[in-house]
Amino acid sequence: MNRAAEQTQTNPLREGLSTRAVPQPCSVVIFGATGDLTHRKLMPALYNLAADGELPPAVTVIGFARRPKSDDDFRKEMEEAVKKFSRQTVRDEIWKNFGQSIFYHQSDFSDESGFKSLAERLDKVDNERGTRGNRLFYFAVAPEQFEPILKHLKTVGLNKAREGSWARVIIEKPFGTDLASARELNRVVSNSFSEDQTYRIDHFLGKETAQNILVLRFANSIFAPLWNRRYIDHLQITAAETLGVEGRAGYYETAGALRDMVQNHLLQLLCLVAMEAPSDLSADSIRDEKVKVVRCLRRMSADGVSTDVVRAQYAEGAINGKSVPAYRAEEKVYPKSMTDTFVALKLNIDNWRFWNVPIYMRVGKRLPKSATEISVHFKKAPMVLFNKETNEANVLVIRIQPDEGISLRIQAKMPGTSFRIEPVKMDFHYGTSFGKASPEAYERLLLDAMSGDATLFARRDEVEEAWAFIDIIENAWSQKKNAPELYFYPAGSWGPDAADELLARDGRAWRRL
Amino acid sequence: MPAETYSLGESVEISQIGKELKKLWQGGEGAMTRASLINLAVYSEKQGSLEKNTQLIARITENHACRALVIGANRESKENRVEAWINAHCHVGRAGSKQICSEQISFLLEGPCVKLLPSIVFSHLDSDLPLYLWWQDDFPEEMDPQLWTWVDRLIFDSQTWKSFNAQMRSIETAEQEAKQRIVLCDLNWTRLDKVRYAIAQFFDHPASHHHFSKMENVTVDFSPGFKSTAILLIGWLAAQLKWKTNQQEMNGSCRFLDANGRKIDIELREQSGGPIGQVVLNSSEIRFCVTPAKCGDLLEVSRSGETETAQPQMMPAQSNDPVDLMTQELLRGGPHRIYLRAVNGVHALL
Repeated sequence: MNRAAEQTQTNPLREGLSTRAVPQPCSVVIFGATGDLTHRKLMPALYNLAADGELPPAVTVIGFARRPKSDDDFRKEMEEAVKKFSRQTVRDEIWKNFGQSIFYHQSDFSDESGFKSLAERLDKVDNERGTRGNRLFYFAVAPEQFEPILKHLKTVGLNKAREGSWARVIIEKPFGTDLASARELNRVVSNSFSEDQTYRIDHFLGKETAQNILVLRFANSIFAPLWNRRYIDHLQITAAETLGVEGRAGYYETAGALRDMVQNHLLQLLCLVAMEAPSDLSADSIRDEKVKVVRCLRRMSADGVSTDVVRAQYAEGAINGKSVPAYRAEEKVYPKSMTDTFVALKLNIDNWRFWNVPIYMRVGKRLPKSATEISVHFKKAPMVLFNKETNEANVLVIRIQPDEGISLRIQAKMPGTSFRIEPVKMDFHYGTSFGKASPEAYERLLLDAMSGDATLFARRDEVEEAWAFIDIIENAWSQKKNAPELYFYPAGSWGPDAADELLARDGRAWRRL
Repeated sequence: MPAETYSLGESVEISQIGKELKKLWQGGEGAMTRASLINLAVYSEKQGSLEKNTQLIARITENHACRALVIGANRESKENRVEAWINAHCHVGRAGSKQICSEQISFLLEGPCVKLLPSIVFSHLDSDLPLYLWWQDDFPEEMDPQLWTWVDRLIFDSQTWKSFNAQMRSIETAEQEAKQRIVLCDLNWTRLDKVRYAIAQFFDHPASHHHFSKMENVTVDFSPGFKSTAILLIGWLAAQLKWKTNQQEMNGSCRFLDANGRKIDIELREQSGGPIGQVVLNSSEIRFCVTPAKCGDLLEVSRSGETETAQPQMMPAQSNDPVDLMTQELLRGGPHRIYLRAVNGVHALL
């Protein structure tokens, strides 16, 4: 984030125009250019940046994939994808120019000659379009394809930039499937690209509300004194979705909710909520504080996994009045699959600030509504003066998606002659207060990568620490003897009863969403 | 609750405004949220301004929820007249079907009671929210310092001013009397936002910076009535690149000297079209060009030279619609230091 200041000093005409780092002209090479991510997210994000005037004019996009097609075919395909998935209407005048900056490079990922010709093509682009030797490689491919791509990039020298230029790589999750594979993946990546060239994307961090957590905590003095074990009773983090596996069964069968969501998105959110104030807004200062949170997560014993983690899978049920099949009946799912589509956990952070403040997380598919939010439940006020039965705690809710915003539940006296107290809500909605639509997370993250700001990307140690924590749970689940039970919940419910029990035994309950 | 409307709304007694506003919301039906991030007071002495500004506010509130205080004044009238209306502008929010509503209180002040403006504004502010005052006329010679002590941001359009320097002097005097630093928001400066972005991006890469010291001339086309806009653009370049005036303007031409004493010739050309037309910066090697595209809402930007072929790209252009200018201005925060620097750079030309 602090690079913005450096760059505005460098270009005097930028002063006052941008408060963020300015992206540099570059070539963006997308590996897996014909895939879903490119169609749905990457190309629409790049188009929106171009339409908003945020993209340096020289930026050039090169799609790299196996299927044979011409530049024009690829452009047409991308135009259709952008028309379908862009948050802005596609304008011919803008597309005409933007489309001309898109090229297609056909090659197999294992074919070294394809990378040699890519290097030649990139040099040509530098000369013709002024991309100045800056290269951003986006890996929109499955992790097993990382190694050959990285190896060939290194062989043809594309991992190193010329003096005064840069080469960066963006990696999509999953960053491994356990600690060993994450380390191996990081080793493979680090053979070709150094850590400061590596950007591990977690789109949750690109969301406006996730970034606003830092502002809420560190730009509002009223919260800072309360943000600790003395005043906070517990935290809840929920990531619920109504969708099932939606054609991702092949991947999901090897991942499950714990690996797919908790290891990355939910732990990242927890880090933002629980971290100490960084010394500045530089990428490493923020990430130093975040990783400390993961390191302080209390490691569970095998018994602890049985008592503090609930795994479950959706059975047949109904979502919005429509019948949906059980997970095991979904296409490409093993009929006796033990994959978790729901996880509820009770975590503890063993540090000075949050010792003995339980953190309850739940994530699941086929739940009654789609919502991601964090709630901070404060301790109850001593109710010696009022009716003890109406004693409700203050709750601060940070809604990540949808209907992004923040609300605070407080107690208020009901009008009347008696002291009847009811909880009321002070509510801030992004959509109400700010008419301007937020950019998509990928837009923000792509710009950050082009400007060398790694703040919103996961660092190697964050990823590995998170896996070290998750592995304990996964290992307990995969035991042949005494493995914790896999519960089942009807699609359209809020998970199994065991998830409610997890809180009920502590005298608490999940927040009603 | 009134439906979405551009009328002034319900006529009310000034002393009853608070009560009537409350009633307005009690009568509301369906999912409606009253929202307000700022107090936006709009002042005009032009005839028919209340209706015109109500239309503008209706559009501005689509993006900026506020409490709007729309004031129409007539100082010339001998008879005192004070009238007020209340209204709400509702729009379906981005989040879904919920309607987001902003309140508008309109005042018509005629005769000596125009002087009561501060007391009327003060008593109807939404508490704890900043006050933005959009002054649509020339400033009077004598301004009530009491008013300025409450203003956080003063919005005006210097393009309409008869004398830039006289107006700026009035503002400076008011600021001094009010002992307050007001953020000055000139819509004539906002008009330059996108052109400034388009020019700035040419120099984002450090490899382009050597052109700053090789700049030879700048040409700016402007449409009739927008010469001050073009001068502000030159003021910005001069202030940011540390150019000093060397030769006063004559027939649209003037000269600056850079920090090394190198001459930069400026040519301002009146042409038909948008407020700012083509802008060309020529260094000894490269021609940097920003041209309005035919479609009207895009800019075509390109750089070319002996060893470089122009590859035009499109960037958004600034609309000259007052609502768009206001929307853009309200999105910004912080002091406008660069604006003040730009004004200082070309004070003599304005």
